[in-house]
Amino acid sequence: MTKELDKPGFSLPPVKKEAGADKITAQNWSKRIKLSILGISPGTITVSTIFHVCLLITPIFVLGHNELLDLSWGFSLFSFSEAITDTMTLIFLVCAAFFLLRRIFLARLRAISSFYDYVVLFLAIMPFLTGFLAYHHLFDYRTVMILHMLFGELMLMAIPFTKLVHMIFFFLNRFVIVNEHTLGKGSRVYA
Amino acid sequence: MAEPNIATLNSEQDVDVNEIKAVLDAHRAKMKLSLKVCAHCSLCAESCFLYTNTNDPKYMPSHKFINSIGKLYKKKGNIDRAGLEEIGDIVFNRCVLCTRCYCPFGIDIPNMIALGRQICRSQGIFRQYDVE
Ligand code: SF4
Ligand code: SF4
Repeated sequence: MTKELDKPGFSLPPVKKEAGADKITAQNWSKRIKLSILGISPGTITVSTIFHVCLLITPIFVLGHNELLDLSWGFSLFSFSEAITDTMTLIFLVCAAFFLLRRIFLARLRAISSFYDYVVLFLAIMPFLTGFLAYHHLFDYRTVMILHMLFGELMLMAIPFTKLVHMIFFFLNRFVIVNEHTLGKGSRVYA
Repeated sequence: MAEPNIATLNSEQDVDVNEIKAVLDAHRAKMKLSLKVCAHCSLCAESCFLYTNTNDPKYMPSHKFINSIGKLYKKKGNIDRAGLEEIGDIVFNRCVLCTRCYCPFGIDIPNMIALGRQICRSQGIFRQYDVE
């Protein structure tokens, strides 16, 4: 075969491409989405997206945190109204409950879950749950507030040591390291 | 127990733990990070045709690497022959390295399985294709 190819004047027939095959059209976009993880698990991905958006945005724009920032550093970001952050916290907690139930009831998740997965989920939920309780003055306010701070700190400290590193490495893995699922070139080098 | 098609040379001999450790060390950074980043979310399940055809969690890409490469790193390479044969069963029989699995975090799953195969082969554990 190689011999044939090496003969002078031999060239492979040109690959015929359908006209406009690599153009992004409405049709092939819907095809792409259907084949993507969003198309395959639409429910989970929707809940997951809402979960992560609330997780990242809520603590930054909550009024109480910005008050504290202002008190200690004399500067603060703008804040959402308390009604908005309250709703976002509730939405977050509902999404977290979805993840918890999914882990408990789906056989495929049970197969790869360990105690550690529950601990990490617990760490992510607790700052929000205690914040919610504190805002509504349920239980003893001082205790709940201290717990809120402790869990918030614990969660932040746990990031580099647990699977919470995916907060940072999601972006690196997906968009920087070159493999076929990133914006890089589609080639993989095996060990 | 490993399937009978997982053959092993020198089956009476212990595996060379130091040799395994050396391979694990050489790939530590990427493998450890991949194992840590994995959120155990199971979203990669449907990307493997072996899972979609069996609906058996042990064919999930993440299940495969957690119980092969993941196990090796957890044990720091200290594994006996029976344990490594079981890993051989996973990496040779439950994955064909078609590289179609997809992880939203971009974890290179076939790379991990391939490393599992490399370690098994280095200890004389491989798939025999003429045995059912
Ligand atoms: S490999 Fe990726 S998709 Fe699969 S469970 Fe781990 S994080 Fe989820
Ligand atoms: S490479 Fe292995 S785990 Fe990935 S899709 Fe193919 S058979 Fe499944």
